[in-house]
Amino acid sequence: MMKVLVTVKEVAEVEEDFEIEGTGIADRYLEYDLNEWDDYAVEEAVQIAETGDDIEVVSVTIGPERCEETIRMALAKGVDRAIRVWDDALAETDLLDVAAKTRILRAVVEAEEPDLVFTGVQAGDDSFGATGVSLADAVGFEWAAVVNDLDVDAVLDESVARVHRELEGGVDEVTEVDLPAVLTIQTGINEPRYASLRGIRQAQRKEIAEKHLADLGLDAEAVETDVRLTEMYEPESESDATIFEGSAEETAAQLAQVLREKGVGAE
Amino acid sequence: MLDYVELEADLGEEERLIRDTARRFVDEKVRPDIAEHYIEGTFPTELIPEMGEMGFYAPNLDGYGLPGVSETAYGLLMQELEACDSGLRSMASVQGALVMYPIHAFGSDEQKEEWLPKLGAGEAVGCFGLTEPAHGSNPSGMETRAEKDGGEYVLHGSKTWITNSPIADVAVVWARDTSAEGRPVRGFLVETDRDGVTTNEIKEKLSLRASITGEIGLNDVRVPEENVLPGVEGMKGPLSCLTQARYGIAWGAVGAARDCFETARRYALDREQFGGPIARFQIQQEKLAEMATQITTAQLLAYRLAELKERGDLRPQHVSMAKRNNVRTARDQARVAREMLGGNGITADYSPMRHMANMETVYTYEGTHDIHSLILGQDLTGIAAFE
Ligand SMILES: Cc1cc2nc3c(=O)[nH]c(=O)nc-3n(C[C@H](O)[C@H](O)[C@H](O)COP(=O)(O)OP(=O)(O)OC[C@H]3O[C@@H](n4cnc5c(N)ncnc54)[C@H](O)[C@@H]3O)c2cc1C
Repeated sequence: MMKVLVTVKEVAEVEEDFEIEGTGIADRYLEYDLNEWDDYAVEEAVQIAETGDDIEVVSVTIGPERCEETIRMALAKGVDRAIRVWDDALAETDLLDVAAKTRILRAVVEAEEPDLVFTGVQAGDDSFGATGVSLADAVGFEWAAVVNDLDVDAVLDESVARVHRELEGGVDEVTEVDLPAVLTIQTGINEPRYASLRGIRQAQRKEIAEKHLADLGLDAEAVETDVRLTEMYEPESESDATIFEGSAEETAAQLAQVLREKGVGAE
Repeated sequence: MLDYVELEADLGEEERLIRDTARRFVDEKVRPDIAEHYIEGTFPTELIPEMGEMGFYAPNLDGYGLPGVSETAYGLLMQELEACDSGLRSMASVQGALVMYPIHAFGSDEQKEEWLPKLGAGEAVGCFGLTEPAHGSNPSGMETRAEKDGGEYVLHGSKTWITNSPIADVAVVWARDTSAEGRPVRGFLVETDRDGVTTNEIKEKLSLRASITGEIGLNDVRVPEENVLPGVEGMKGPLSCLTQARYGIAWGAVGAARDCFETARRYALDREQFGGPIARFQIQQEKLAEMATQITTAQLLAYRLAELKERGDLRPQHVSMAKRNNVRTARDQARVAREMLGGNGITADYSPMRHMANMETVYTYEGTHDIHSLILGQDLTGIAAFE
């Protein structure tokens, strides 16, 4: 029996044209979807479950009822059951920082006792990029960040996560991490599947357990934060981009003219 | 995405997820290359098993690993497939409604066990042979015959305009059983590798180019008695399959029309003439307004069909009305969308003209527009104009 916990998040994706209202982007310009990195984390966990016997994949998310559809899609892809943490105290906070997320997820890890925790490397909306490692530290697990390859057989046979980590400059580091461990999963580690119609049907019968802070032994203090979002603005662009239109010849001629005007070239 | 009177807001979660997963699959896996396939006259055959894994074939049926989704969910799937290309929806319609459905409804347990899992997974491809060179709108005049010989039947005749016949593993062939009283029409499962079967491809079509079409030649083909569909006799067999497929077409046509509309709306907002987007001109706005209204009306009809089908009150004539109306709508509106795109509209870079050409097939197959007029005429007056 082995258990993999995957943290998933529904993120807001902003349309091309948008308006800022206060310290946020007006809701009408937002669409919600599963965080891209988490899709890979879910796929990795489901592949482990499909390779081994008796492996449970549980997802955990911190979010309002709205995200149940996104969670259901993960259940349709093979996650066995889901936990959704929400609370009035969470609804009231403007900003959930890494420390607060860590406190909540630590409580979930302590209750679930997973062998492996997968998080995405980062979330596409607030991009703190720290939750996974911070959680590992809090629960005393080993960790590896930015994992782009995992030896599934080694996980199953030797209880060790043999991982490749993507470093700057194209360097690939190969590391072994003993379980229990937290791995932050990089895009490209696998090819996430589409939910099949059969999976979607089955997902209707899977559990999404709603937990309040009190259910996790926490109170409103757990989500307090010293980080405050003070302003949101669109930076002035330093220079304007010009897009040339037309055939290759036409665009080349236009480019040549601009270069000449700017004094580039030996004419 | 056009859903003007918010019909999709009332969908259940399962239905929304099915719409979303189909939309995503089509966007990422099929749409990028579909124009290329259209130009080349090919179908992306590598997607056949992937569509099977997704559960796109006969998902509204139960058992044999089939998911048994609601009729609305099935309709939404057809809509998303046809929003990409009618060839894609045709693949799913033929495999699901015309091949798996008759096996599921009229087949023996052995036939179901042998074929439904393979066809559902897209590991085997099926085709449906009803139309003949001399019998299109009047299939009951069919000449293909099956003669009993001991424990076997000997099939002789030819079928044409058969979607997927050149790539099929099995054909559901409808033929007259000349050894039985009254020469009833029976359904036969004919494996295409049997001696005497030929499946020539019909090339150079100017419509439904991203779909493979062919003939089925049956030259004294011997099949065991066990290959007859035991549960049905007479034209009711093929006609009941067509009702299933036409239901999917009524939904699919809405998808094709919606894709034309969205392409035209986007283009009208982007394209500038006389110092601003062409969408600011009243004539262009009238086109969009009419298009949106026609599409919404077609969509309403499709949703109502789903309700009737779900509760078992759907009559074939209801489906005739929806197939007739919705395909005509898609055919007309595709042309309007095409014209809004100006010169760019005649290229394969944009979908409307491809949809417009596809609609010529969809207008004709599964009962031509005229034939559905006659079916409705008979239902409304009690007088059959075609007998
Ligand atoms: C791309 C493609 C794929 C197809 N796939 C399949 C398939 O998988 N399996 C299959 O069995 N068939 C398939 N068909 C065949 C299709 O169903 C027939 O083409 C259709 O039924 C019309 O038959 P027909 O072409 O012989 O036209 P006809 O029946 O000859 O009709 C010609 C014209 O006469 C009109 N007409 C006919 N009878 C009457 C009447 N009584 N009153 C008024 N007008 C009338 C028709 O509306 C039409 O306009 C396919 C066709 C195409 C083009």
